Amino acid sequence: MRERFVIDVGDFSRFNPGPQAPVWWGILGLVVIEATVIMAFIATYFYLRLMAPAWPPEGVEPPPLLLPSISVVLLLGSSMTMQWGSKCIENEQYNRFVVAMFTSVGLACTVLMLRWQQFQELGVPWDEHVYGSIVWTIMGFHFVHLISAAAGTLVVGILGIKRYFNPQQKIGVVVDTLYWNFVSLVWIPLYLVVYWVPRWL
Amino acid sequence: MSQVTANMPESASSAPSEQATAELNRTWASPAGFFGWFTHVNHRKIGFRFIMTSLVFFVLAGVLALLMRLQLITPENSLMGPELFNQLFTMHGTTMMFFFAVPIMEGLGIYLVPLMIGTRDMCFPRLNAFGYYVYLIAGIVLYLSLFLGMAPAAGWFAYVPLANDMFSPGKGMDIWTTMITFIELSALTAAVELIVTIFKQRAPGMSLDRMPLFVWAILVMSFMIVFAMPTVMVGSILLMLDRTLMTQFFVVASGGEPLLWQHLFWFFGHPEVYIIFVPALGVLSAIITTFTHKRLFGYTAMVLSLVAIGFVSFGLWVHHMFTTGLPHLGLSFFTGASAMIAIPSGVQIFCWIASLWGARIRFATPMLFVLGFFAVFVIGGLTGVMVASIPFDMQVHDTYFVVAHFHYVLIGGAVLPLFGGIYYWYPKATGRLMSERLGRWSFALIFIGLNATFFPMHQLGLEGMPRRVYTYLETMGWGNLNLFISLSAFVLALGFGLTFLNMWMSRSRGTPAGPNPWDADSLEWATDSPPANYNFRHIPVVRSGTPLWDDAIANERQFVSGLRNDRREVLVTTLVDAEPQAVVILPQPTIWPVLLAVAVSIGFIGTIFSPWGFWLGFFLSFWMIVGWLWPRRPWQEN
Repeated sequence: MRERFVIDVGDFSRFNPGPQAPVWWGILGLVVIEATVIMAFIATYFYLRLMAPAWPPEGVEPPPLLLPSISVVLLLGSSMTMQWGSKCIENEQYNRFVVAMFTSVGLACTVLMLRWQQFQELGVPWDEHVYGSIVWTIMGFHFVHLISAAAGTLVVGILGIKRYFNPQQKIGVVVDTLYWNFVSLVWIPLYLVVYWVPRWL
Repeated sequence: MSQVTANMPESASSAPSEQATAELNRTWASPAGFFGWFTHVNHRKIGFRFIMTSLVFFVLAGVLALLMRLQLITPENSLMGPELFNQLFTMHGTTMMFFFAVPIMEGLGIYLVPLMIGTRDMCFPRLNAFGYYVYLIAGIVLYLSLFLGMAPAAGWFAYVPLANDMFSPGKGMDIWTTMITFIELSALTAAVELIVTIFKQRAPGMSLDRMPLFVWAILVMSFMIVFAMPTVMVGSILLMLDRTLMTQFFVVASGGEPLLWQHLFWFFGHPEVYIIFVPALGVLSAIITTFTHKRLFGYTAMVLSLVAIGFVSFGLWVHHMFTTGLPHLGLSFFTGASAMIAIPSGVQIFCWIASLWGARIRFATPMLFVLGFFAVFVIGGLTGVMVASIPFDMQVHDTYFVVAHFHYVLIGGAVLPLFGGIYYWYPKATGRLMSERLGRWSFALIFIGLNATFFPMHQLGLEGMPRRVYTYLETMGWGNLNLFISLSAFVLALGFGLTFLNMWMSRSRGTPAGPNPWDADSLEWATDSPPANYNFRHIPVVRSGTPLWDDAIANERQFVSGLRNDRREVLVTTLVDAEPQAVVILPQPTIWPVLLAVAVSIGFIGTIFSPWGFWLGFFLSFWMIVGWLWPRRPWQEN
């Protein structure tokens, strides 16, 4: 049988900074899985609410709005600083990139501290009524994800200090930003469910 | 094709020197030795481990089933008490569903998909290895709990309130919830990896409409895993929280809802059945294509039905809950959806019949298992239509009729094709064919044993024998049928045993197979049996849906050049048309996946005993992930 080479890939670049890299699709898969988990939590919340005679239960006030609303702003801001970081890599401004990463981590840490206070202000423990159980679980779930995103970005920042990234080699920044945007933006639906649903519905 | 160049060497066979081939083989080699074993990342190594490990769990769960049958062989038998019996059926179901059926289908996909789509490894080899260790550790912990007498005992679907800590004290259910979360983690990593590999690493020219149906089936299975498994993870996390941190999700007195568990579980649990069944459909299509030696009838219809089954299976979960007092309208909807799944399933069956019609069929052992599938699965499908009707379901709910139904569909729908697949692909993995003679005996015993074991259970169910009872009174008159069933179960076990014996003996004694013993059409048969470390000496270029047959007709094979031999390079192609797009470098063998799996295990198992276990596992895992991903020098290398 005749055997022929018909395609040569020898001169393809081995750097793949965008969606042609499998890892970009892998992180997208992680985001889809996590989003499904969050949908399951939200469905659980509404199912329990549907079955409850009163929601929140008698004698429990909806949690206060100030801190979580500030968190929304801070998290949106952190998505912007991450975006700025990506631009900096593109323009080879490596010091600014490091500043962008650490600013994002700083914003996330602020949100984490606010979240700690929000837990105190929920006004209901997790082990007395199912309302408390689901609210604590949803908030805790997001809390843990914020810690992971911040820890991962911290490492990206440290690699930035070591000048690891450049315009060809930046897939780590791209996928970290992708995951970060998921974690920060998913707070908006969770915020609406936990803080506004007991008021509106 | 974008990169066709005229000045390429005409002949590929003369171009690569033996030296270059040896270098390529070294580049893709897996380290030898005991410690080397823990560093393997190659998809064939990991896929093979998945398959062998799940077969071990299949045998273990089978032994548990035989023990249960021994207990039920006569009325009021005192071989074991209710506690042990409860543990046995819980472990049997849990093992068969989570530790055998899903992992073996994933293992088959991990082993075969890269070979079928013409690439050298999967896109995230280390994640593959991680998924395997997580699975292995979960299985070992679960079975340790059985041998320590603290196994879960609330059934494989762990209904609350029975599974709450009030009614299931001890650590058994905690082990169940954590190990289920664990195994889901393993399944999810494999699913993402399979999806991305199928999307991005197909050989040039293998557009979506030229993809083998087995690969389509694995793709649909993986998407179903991605959307189904998270809900059972959420369910088991909530149950875990209820049991360890005293949350109140399933405690009625505090506003909790036991039915929430059933919704979360079956929203996963019904797609789960199809997660097992869909890859089996792919196996059937591969075997039928090969043994009729013609392209399958209705390729597009087959693909659409696979996708339709994937979608519709998410609308069926409530038919497991017909007796829970849900609103009538809802029940009617789910009856309709349950009947609807018969349409795509029917399309598939008719396409296969049309493929077999008028073909010169070779009745080798894999084909026998396919024909066995038709008979058994149709019976299971018929009883499925029966239990989809609510009044009938109410009568037979929780009786042996249901046990008969789901063993027919699961063994008929998944295990028979799977064993056919083992006979079919064994020569690819080992280089030797399995014995046809033993294969025929094995098939005959499995087919007879399976019908003799499960068919009488329909009758027992209609006579009112409930499932999950550890014994029954003589006056019920169920003794003779139970005796017959128990004896038949041993025939079934003997049939499976013969295949295992066959696998063992054929390793050294089987007829050498050569690259393509069955004269099949798909790419995995284009390379050596077993394939060399690099899978394909050159990445093939695909020009049709049955590349091997059409290459033979055209008397020409086409390849890609330009991948380096001294590091692990694979070709990335576009999603729909599979045009060459990029080259990525895959990682070398590494120890980090094992370390991460151990860290995650510390977290999960620690959580059973203290909430601090979670944080310990969380931060250990973080360090392992950093170690895993930390770039190795030189940092910049093109």
